[in-house]
Order: sequence, then C-alpha cells, then structure tokens
Amino acid sequence: MNFVKRLFSAFLAASILFTGSIQTVQAAMISTEQVAESSITSQGNQDRTLIVAALSREDVQAALVARGIDPAQAQDRVAALTDEEASVVASQLDTAPAGGIIGAIVLIFLVLLLTDILGFTKIFPFTRSVR
Amino acid sequence: MILKSFILAFAFLLSACVATGVREVTQNPQFPRQHELTETPFFPQELYHCGPAALATALNAIDVKVSPDQLVPEVYIPSRKGSLQIEMLAAARRHGALAVKIEPELGAVLKEISAGNVVLVMQNLGLSWAPSWHYAVVVGYDLDKELIWLRSGTFERFEMSLSAFQRTWARSKYWAFVALKPGDLPASGGVEAVISALITYEKNAGAAKASVAYAAAAKRWPGNLVLLTGLGNSAYVTGDFTSAAAAFREATSAHPDSAVAHNNLANVQLAQGEVKAAKLSAEKALQLAGGDQKLQSQIQKTIDEINAYSIKK
Repeated sequence: MNFVKRLFSAFLAASILFTGSIQTVQAAMISTEQVAESSITSQGNQDRTLIVAALSREDVQAALVARGIDPAQAQDRVAALTDEEASVVASQLDTAPAGGIIGAIVLIFLVLLLTDILGFTKIFPFTRSVR
Repeated sequence: MILKSFILAFAFLLSACVATGVREVTQNPQFPRQHELTETPFFPQELYHCGPAALATALNAIDVKVSPDQLVPEVYIPSRKGSLQIEMLAAARRHGALAVKIEPELGAVLKEISAGNVVLVMQNLGLSWAPSWHYAVVVGYDLDKELIWLRSGTFERFEMSLSAFQRTWARSKYWAFVALKPGDLPASGGVEAVISALITYEKNAGAAKASVAYAAAAKRWPGNLVLLTGLGNSAYVTGDFTSAAAAFREATSAHPDSAVAHNNLANVQLAQGEVKAAKLSAEKALQLAGGDQKLQSQIQKTIDEINAYSIKK
C-alpha cells in the first residue's frame, strides 16, 4: 500500500514538473519576459513547481480540505502567480537551515511556508492576510 | 540635552497633526482640487469578505461583470478570514484586467482618480502591533476640505480625512493598484510598473487582450524594446503577422544591436513565407548574440526551423 502511495506521488510530482516546463511562446520566438529580466524567468518556473509539488502532497491536501480550500483551486491560485511573485514565495527556501537531514528539513520548511500562505501559521512576513 | 529632547518631542507632536505627504499634495497646484467618480458601483462586504468586495468594485468599474461571491473562491482564505495581496492582483488579471501597482504616494492616488481610475488600496485600520487589515476602493477626494472617499466595507461613501487615510495606508507600505481595461494605461507612474504588469498580463489574459494592451503602451513609450517585443509576440500568437512584423521592425531600427528583436523578426518573416528575409534576420541575430550561449541556442533553433522550411519547399 505504502509503495503504491509512493509511486503515485512520484508520478504526480513528475507530471507537475513536466506541465511546469511547458513554455507559453511557441516556435523559436524569445519571450517578452526573457527580454525584460532574463534572471528571474528561469527561477520562476522552478519556484512555482516547488510550490505546486508541495500542494500535491496528501497531508497538505487533507489540511487544505480541513481549512475549507479546494486543493484544485489552490493549484489554480499558484498557477496565476507571476514568476516574480512565485520567487517571493519560494525565496525563503534558500534560508532553510542546512545540515543534518536536509531533505526532511526542506520538506518541513515547505509545508510551513504553505501553511503560512494558507493562513494557519504565521512564520513569514510576506504572507500577510487581511480582513 | 533636555532642551534637545524637548524639541524632538515637540517635533513628533507636530508631525502627529498632519500625516506626512498630505501637505505636499494639498499645496500642489498640479492636482485638480477635487474629483469624485460617483458612478463607481458598490458591493457591500459580507463578513470578512472585504477583499472580494473591493475587487468586485474595481472590476465592475471597468465593466467586468463579476460579483463578490464569484471572487470568494479565488481570493478568500477562510481560516485567515482574509485575502492575500498577491492573489488580489492575480485574480484581477484572471478576469481580464491589467492590474498595475501604483507609486507608493498619495499624489499617485489623486492622479488616478482625476484620470477616472478607481484605486484599490490596502489599509491597516488598527495599529501596527494590533493590525486590522482592510481592502477598500478610493473613488474621490477634495483637497480643500482635505477629505477622501472610499467604497469601504458596508459603507458606500466612507469619508476619511486625508491624514487618517494616509496613516492607515502607510501601514500597508502604501500598497495600491489600479485595474484597467486592455488598452488603458495608468495616469501615474513610469514605464517599469506598466511593463511588469503587462508581462504577467500576457501570461494570464491571453494574446489578443495582451496585444491591445501592449500596443497602447508602445504608443506612449515609443522605441521601448520590451514593449515592442511584447506587442510583436502577442500579435504573432494571434496570427496577426503584419502587426508582429511591424513591431519587430520598429524594435530592430530602435535597437539595431538587439539579437532578440532580429530573432523574433526572423520567426515572423518565416511565418509570412519570406524565407530569404528570415534567414538574413536570423544570421544577423546570431552575429549580435555574442557570447550569450542561451541566446545562441535559441537563435540556432530559429535557423534550424528556417532550414527545415526551405527543405520542405
């Protein structure tokens, strides 16, 4: 059972990775965004992929549902973010404590980041919510 | 020493009377003394839904028919009883509006109002250490009376003194944006804010709307490489090769050393069936790319496509 679960999440992560890498401008046209700021662009898709991948985790999805948010809606919301905005959200990843079991820490960090965005924690200042 | 601290305390007292930035606008002859956009629709907020209500007000003001209830699943986070700033911008784009963040100063708000654009602002109606965040829409002002009016919460015409507004707005670091129809541009601010709004708009709103918006901006700021690239790219996607070619020709003449302009022109020329011209443009682009490997490989792809096309023929 566990193995099936793992296989499924690997598949999910892979499919998200691939959809993330699809470019909007076809042929060999160079995008407006690349002209504007070549540095942020490539980072943006990676950041978005990170966020979306974490959103696909079962436990995060369960948390979303418990908080009254449709997981599909949450993914749409991330997709609507610009590269710059996605960078802001994901930039905190770089400051994750290194050493030890890095993978696990990064994962916890990601979940914290997400829970923060969704409003059940308040770790990062940029995730302000309003009334 | 004591005198000094007295003077300092007195200075603080003084500054508490009129918020900073208010006197600058009330004494500035550049702004019309008063203006109010009375036609702006009003959607009274329910519960904590000030985000969806304010966004619906701003969108309906430019004839995007959407109700706060429709916006709730897009911007509202139930457990936080609120909406994130980034999502407010993203949702405006999703509904076809060009969302441009304006300069963090009262003057910019007044400029937009007098030009007919309502301004969606974020305020902290509480204190910095006990925040009460709120979204509202500025619809009018009177510099002689030092008043400002907003569609806010359940109030259709919420009146605030300019000073009180300035203080509550300052706590959000003067966060504000205008939602515009494609083809309209903000009255305040420079080309940078418009460019960053347009790039995100191109992704969310589709090429047809984007090309209209880019065309307006390229007209106001002629010869801007990013704007011309955006105009050319979006026109190309809609299949309007004539406009796309015109945009990239203007880009190559204004920026003769831009490899991107020549590369994209080559692609448009290829789409028009002008293989010879396309080849020349692409070769020129490759020359200009210099040591930039990413550009080189992108241009090589263009050349490959041109060659493949020639063989097919």
